Amino acid sequence: MAKSLTAVDRSACPSKAGMLLLDQMINVRNFCIVAHIAHGKSTLADRILELTDVLHTKNNQQFLNNMELERERGITIKAKSVRIPYKAKDGQDYILNLIDTPGHVDFNYEVSRSLKACEGALLLVDASQGVEAQTVANAYLAIDAGLEIIPVINKIDLPNALIDESKKQLSDMLGIPADNALLISAKAGTGIIEVLESVVANVPPPESDVNGPLQCLVFDSMYDTYKGVIPHIRVFSGTVKIGTKIMAKSTGKSYEVTEVGYFSPGMVPATQLEAGMVGYIGAVMRDVGDIHVGDTFVSPDLPDTPAIPGFREARPMVFCGIYPLNTNEYGKLGAALEKLQLNDSAIVFEKESSAALGHGYRLGLLGMLHMEITLERLKREYGQEIIATMPSTIYKVVTRDGVEHLIDNPSKFPEPNHIDHIEEPIVQAHIIVPKEFVGPVMALSEEKRGKMITMEHPDMRRIMLTYDFPLAETITGYYDTLKSISRGYASMDYDFTGYRQSDLVKVDILVHGDKVDALSYISERTMAVPRARDLVHRLRKLIPRQMFEIPIQAAIGGKVIAREDIVAIRKDVLSKCYGGDISRKRKLLEKQAEGKKKMKMVGSVQIPQDAFLALLKMEEEH
Amino acid sequence: MTAGLYVHVPFCARKCRYCDFYSLPQRENLIPAYIKAVTAEAHVHQGKHFQTLYVGGGTPSLLGPQNLSDLMGSLRGYFNLSSLGEATIEVNPESATKEFLDAAMSAGFNRVSVGVQSLSDTELESVGRIHDSQRAIKALNDIRTAGFTNVSADVIIGLPGQDWTSLKRTLDQLLSMRLEHISAYCLSIEEGTPLAVNPPANLPTDDRQAELFERTCAFLKKTGFVHYEISNFARPGFESRHNLNYWHGGEYLGLGPAAASHMNGRRFRNNSDLTAYIGNPSGQISDIEDLDPAAKAGEEAMLRLRLLEEGLDCAAMAERFSPENVIGLRQRLEKLVEEGLLEKTGTRYILPGKMVMTANQVLSRVVVTGGPTCC
Repeated sequence: MAKSLTAVDRSACPSKAGMLLLDQMINVRNFCIVAHIAHGKSTLADRILELTDVLHTKNNQQFLNNMELERERGITIKAKSVRIPYKAKDGQDYILNLIDTPGHVDFNYEVSRSLKACEGALLLVDASQGVEAQTVANAYLAIDAGLEIIPVINKIDLPNALIDESKKQLSDMLGIPADNALLISAKAGTGIIEVLESVVANVPPPESDVNGPLQCLVFDSMYDTYKGVIPHIRVFSGTVKIGTKIMAKSTGKSYEVTEVGYFSPGMVPATQLEAGMVGYIGAVMRDVGDIHVGDTFVSPDLPDTPAIPGFREARPMVFCGIYPLNTNEYGKLGAALEKLQLNDSAIVFEKESSAALGHGYRLGLLGMLHMEITLERLKREYGQEIIATMPSTIYKVVTRDGVEHLIDNPSKFPEPNHIDHIEEPIVQAHIIVPKEFVGPVMALSEEKRGKMITMEHPDMRRIMLTYDFPLAETITGYYDTLKSISRGYASMDYDFTGYRQSDLVKVDILVHGDKVDALSYISERTMAVPRARDLVHRLRKLIPRQMFEIPIQAAIGGKVIAREDIVAIRKDVLSKCYGGDISRKRKLLEKQAEGKKKMKMVGSVQIPQDAFLALLKMEEEH
Repeated sequence: MTAGLYVHVPFCARKCRYCDFYSLPQRENLIPAYIKAVTAEAHVHQGKHFQTLYVGGGTPSLLGPQNLSDLMGSLRGYFNLSSLGEATIEVNPESATKEFLDAAMSAGFNRVSVGVQSLSDTELESVGRIHDSQRAIKALNDIRTAGFTNVSADVIIGLPGQDWTSLKRTLDQLLSMRLEHISAYCLSIEEGTPLAVNPPANLPTDDRQAELFERTCAFLKKTGFVHYEISNFARPGFESRHNLNYWHGGEYLGLGPAAASHMNGRRFRNNSDLTAYIGNPSGQISDIEDLDPAAKAGEEAMLRLRLLEEGLDCAAMAERFSPENVIGLRQRLEKLVEEGLLEKTGTRYILPGKMVMTANQVLSRVVVTGGPTCC
């Protein structure tokens, strides 16, 4: 509480106008809720909004999760902020800015930016689950951001609520004193007032200089067809109003503010946003690529005003090729991606074409969940039927000439004899798992090339494992398998830690001597052969026999590591007495010809389009 | 151009396990009504002139001598059969009695096609044939005794448990009977048939079938048969004229339920429904198909390429269909020649012997796709 302003500070304020503003600031609280997935964050937010009459409907629709998909999966993807007027028990009127944070591992950076906009955080724990991996990860992020942490134990009305144990975990695992943790049931609406009172009492008001040089943090943005990009900002210093000139630190581009306001929960225009406040601005920013989460707006007259520390460009770590099922819809898919990108600037994409799948796009995303959600949104919101290739990460390939290449597509790898070494992205993962599952989890982690860093015992029933993993291993089914072998009890969080040199090889799949680019993959050397055998075997079954023998091979450079042959077709003839029923004969042949039209040509081999689909699907499930 | 007359006899004593043709077991009581209906249907088309006749089934020999004579009487009454060069009747060994064969001879048939299928009793039994090898041999002898000099036998390749030894034994025995013609069909497992529902474990694979077929071709060729169509072998001069007419894209009228016709360029079929046929013999036409000239040319090419000796003469096609309708066809054929899947001598395209077992790979690229113009 040392940082917060006191009554003495207030009286010390020199100017009348300044004092007035400071009076307002003293009653402002910027806070967020951090929690493990499904611990009740969105429900708590809803209750707060209802209680304070920001939200009038009680139709059990969680306001902050307004994307259909988010609600379905119970997770928040995009951060949002809401201004909440609140009359506290001390008789004063407060402005509470609730800043929502995305709740999944893929969005750690976004979370950290949202936290940066707050002074306090409600650390929400499900009493029936206790502290989970993302509780730990998010709590650390909040502590790192210097936030006042208010522990809140939710779902206390559940019969299996373990309140004392949850408190103990908070203090043992995170060092957060939790004896006085708030006990609530967001679902039942109990303890919500206490939460708000605690925010007022414990979260420091923003320490801000309204007359200082302009300094606004962009912690989120959205796209409006008419207004362009709408950055969500936290003003740290100065005041922004209509007509204010602003400059983005990362790009140097300047804009004139045409609109300021806040969310309540819809957009409410205001005359200005002062230091300490949270809201949005409009400034006719058409290019979604110019505004980055984490960037700082300053005044173009004072371009050397420092940026809020911690900015980095959203860095896609997971890549896949996406192709329209119907090749005529290539243009439509591009348009859908552009539209999607407007509301999710973390998506990157570029044109790509594959001999096997035709024209499509290479999509870069923050992580596996981000990818899943994006593919799902493309299908659902834009009605696109698409094939996605196996996901890949971004590799650092250092060639013999000493040049370092960042390569996100296995088919673009240099020939093995040109490669000096390859580095792959490494993540550090925290896995919390009940004791009885620790064996299988460790076996799985070893199999996925995990290196154990620590093994801790946060409480009597659970183990917390910390592993270093190659990112590539975690994007190919690790999380799903983890969940299934622990019957859903394991939780995981990860963060990117850097690159590490590994013994990796690129495996190409060749059909009749021609590379099928969409099937190339990167593998740890010792694991390349089993996977190659399996893939070759499955591909053989999916390609119909043809007029000639077709070898299916997997190769590293020129060296074949697996091979199966599709023998030439021996019998394909109508040798049956159809009498004079010529139409039937002709129709059978026409049907056969129609079937062939749906084939993709790879070299001289006809491969059914759905063979690739089936293979990629199987890979996914593998 | 010749024109053929086909009569479909939809009766059989028992359904074979592989059969998906329209034939009804144990309904011989309907034969008189059926004959009446065929007569009525013939009446509608009266006056037509035919050069070939084929009575097939089902099992035409189930009709018995009297019904067969009645049927032929009706056909002669309504159609001009004065220049009938070939008249074939299909028989099954168990019902090819001497009386029936004599009746067929006196009714004017000059060719008999026998459903022998195999001369291995286990193979015959496995697909539910009624006859055994002895009965088949007796029937073949009786046919000769009745005076027929043009006899064909059907053989099925790929029967359960069949191998080259058993198949060759069948072929050897048939050859010793001095047959003029052999049709060798591959067993195909049609959806819904007992063989598809309960496939025996010893059913030869497609690859095995292909091997047996190829050995059959080589064997029959060596013994003087001409492999003149994908499934048909004949002593020179004994090619089936009625069937050749199908493969030349010629015209024919089909009488009886499920019979297919090709008249004035239009293909159609009677419904596969004996009861309905008896009730209204001339009102059963369905599946009418009028192809545009280019598609028609493609269809004829598909048929003619089945004729392994004669092949397809593109110049003659261009004359019949007018050149603009065979441009696409010619391009498709040339492409196939380029890929080595067809052979060409002069203006004639021929399916090479090595392609016989995979003919569909070629023929499916010869037909015009994109849908016929239907009405």
